[in-house]
Amino acid sequence: MSERIVRGRVDRSGALVSADVPLLRLQQRAGAGLGKPLALPHLARLVALSQRLHREINRPLHAADDHSDIHALVRVIPDDEGVSIEISDWRARAVAQPGMPPVAEETALADGWAWECDQQLRLVALRAAGRAPAVPPGWEGRSLSELFELQPDVDGRFAVLRALARQSRFGGQNVRAAGMAMTLGGDALFDAAGRFTGFRGFAAATGAPPAATPKDGGVLVDPAFGSLPLSDPKFGRRIDGALRGPLSRIIATAETISGQFEGPIRADYARYAGDIAHAGRHLLGLVDDLADLQNIERPGFKAARDDIDLGDLARRAVGLLGMKAEEKGIRISAPSADDRMPATGEFRRVLQVLLNLLGNAIRYSPEDSQIWLRVDREGDRAMVTVADQGQGIDAEQQAVVFEKFERLGRTDSGGSGLGLYIARRLARAMDGDLTVDSAPGQGARFTLSLPARDED
Amino acid sequence: MSESLSFAGIEPPSPTLSARLGELADFFAAPTAGRLTDEQRALSLGIARRLVADVAARIDPAIDSAALWADWLLRGIPDAARLVGVCFARAEEHRWRALSAERMVPAPLAGAADEASGAASDAPMTARERAYLGLRIADRRRLDAYGQPKLAIADVDEDIFRVLLHEVAAWRLAEVSIDTGRAASLGDAVRHAVERQADEGGMTAAAIAYHEAVGTALPETARMAIAAHDWPALIALAAAAQRRRYADMALSLLTAETAALPSLLAPLRLDRDALALLEASLAMLPARAVNDADGAAPEAGR
Repeated sequence: MSERIVRGRVDRSGALVSADVPLLRLQQRAGAGLGKPLALPHLARLVALSQRLHREINRPLHAADDHSDIHALVRVIPDDEGVSIEISDWRARAVAQPGMPPVAEETALADGWAWECDQQLRLVALRAAGRAPAVPPGWEGRSLSELFELQPDVDGRFAVLRALARQSRFGGQNVRAAGMAMTLGGDALFDAAGRFTGFRGFAAATGAPPAATPKDGGVLVDPAFGSLPLSDPKFGRRIDGALRGPLSRIIATAETISGQFEGPIRADYARYAGDIAHAGRHLLGLVDDLADLQNIERPGFKAARDDIDLGDLARRAVGLLGMKAEEKGIRISAPSADDRMPATGEFRRVLQVLLNLLGNAIRYSPEDSQIWLRVDREGDRAMVTVADQGQGIDAEQQAVVFEKFERLGRTDSGGSGLGLYIARRLARAMDGDLTVDSAPGQGARFTLSLPARDED
Repeated sequence: MSESLSFAGIEPPSPTLSARLGELADFFAAPTAGRLTDEQRALSLGIARRLVADVAARIDPAIDSAALWADWLLRGIPDAARLVGVCFARAEEHRWRALSAERMVPAPLAGAADEASGAASDAPMTARERAYLGLRIADRRRLDAYGQPKLAIADVDEDIFRVLLHEVAAWRLAEVSIDTGRAASLGDAVRHAVERQADEGGMTAAAIAYHEAVGTALPETARMAIAAHDWPALIALAAAAQRRRYADMALSLLTAETAALPSLLAPLRLDRDALALLEASLAMLPARAVNDADGAAPEAGR
């Protein structure tokens, strides 16, 4: 724990009247200074809360500037003249830190042993995963290199020992244990004080199904993306981890500015901030879509078979997006409360598909129009249809509307072009389908069909 | 609860209706009390399922624990009243640690070389290091191969363990009753499992050993555990210092009001900064089973 305390003082009006250098620098990077309102939204909220409650507050503090994230512990002490701020345990991290996926994620994909060792490479955990043979008895506290006979690579080096020296993650360490050939990989572990505490990883039995291992030695080749590393699950997770945090921060900060929660600003600046928040939400949606894409294109992806009611799910989707429709004066006609359509499919995935269909319908419908959601059954198929009064889709476009990144020539910031592709993949993973029926000028009817279920 | 419920005009009530009415009656009895979140419910249930599978494996690895669990989900889980306490405590501890790890920010790697040279040392372990290693091993026994939280058999209360053993054996008996040889061996398996558990040391035993090895360095060690967010070590020291079981102390800490922390951890003689850091970490945990006076603790999911 750092002993250094960074102090500051805020007066009753919320202005920062004195501050130690690190706090003042943060305030200046946020575009303010001494005598100006506290420009760090999180800290400002804690100060306001402390003043309102007339009590001391201890909380973690998260702040960000243009090149680092700040994590610290803040104590806010109110008095009659304002509040005193004491910040300790100040830690800065470069924003560009790569979001390496934990090796542990691979344990769900292979047969082998999950393991963990301390900083002296003494084993503290060893468990068999999947169909791997049982772990040998008496492993507790034994050295990693004693249990796993390390094999050098072509240069005569050992990846695990190199990683120990660098305190970094490693992979591809060939070992032999209990008569088996295995490949060892692990993540370096650190505690909150930054001390290296060991490794956690997975020993995959060589010859186990290489679910997460690219066959061509680098990147899975996708017919649509070629060799773009988007198809590599690790790349996808890394992108997801690296983008989601910064984007969320951008959106939150832009919304704070746009909503003028910290005080009035020029109207055009507020609009710019609103635009930034909108663009950020679009990018976050794209990251979500890419993460979904990674998931559903994973070999062996299966959706759950829940007992669901399409009528209920349609009403839920309407409930979630009703406000958005109202903003455009669009009326939605949903199935009535006693309109049931029992089916089999994964609850959240079906809701995801319906939200996509309804969201598209709202986005591409003219103002003051109507959208219908209807449930129906044909033989062993239960169906829900979303119909709108938009401009419709011609036959040529219908042929490609379910393709990846297909936006039918639209260039607005409305979507990623992945939604319908994902929706159809999900429908088919649930033994169903997603189809479209439309003509130019006559709106579009998207129909999700799933296996029908007979109720007792 | 469900037996005492009746609802005019519906006879006999379905199990689903009874369960819903029971839930509603509980709600009416204490409308303002905080309720379980879906995450807490799912974590606790998962912990119970893994415990039942481990207990079944102790009796006979051939038992189909998935079928057993599916059957119990329909009939109700035996000894539920006592089981929920340990499962909830483990689930809450896991939530806290997961959240803490998620928010953990690695310090700059400056000074890493010193640590690395320390890591390569072949010096024999001190008693304290050995005790800490034992604590870490006991702690990691409470995760499965996929990192999901579970209860180690050694950490389960003897009475709960015995009840579960008997219930699993009874379920198994119904399956193999036509095979008299296998049925007879069930009793031996139960006795052997009870004896084996008695010989095992879990978190409570490891905590006592660690506490003894730490000796007079208790306040500094506890302070370092907080700084490192090494919550198992902190709970272990606090539990051993007060001669309590690890799980009891974990639940006490996780449900303690802010104002109660100093007295709860008094034997550790923590300074104000360390307590503040602990308070901040606990405050970040959503939906804790505690009333936070300032209302600032998040009640819903993140």
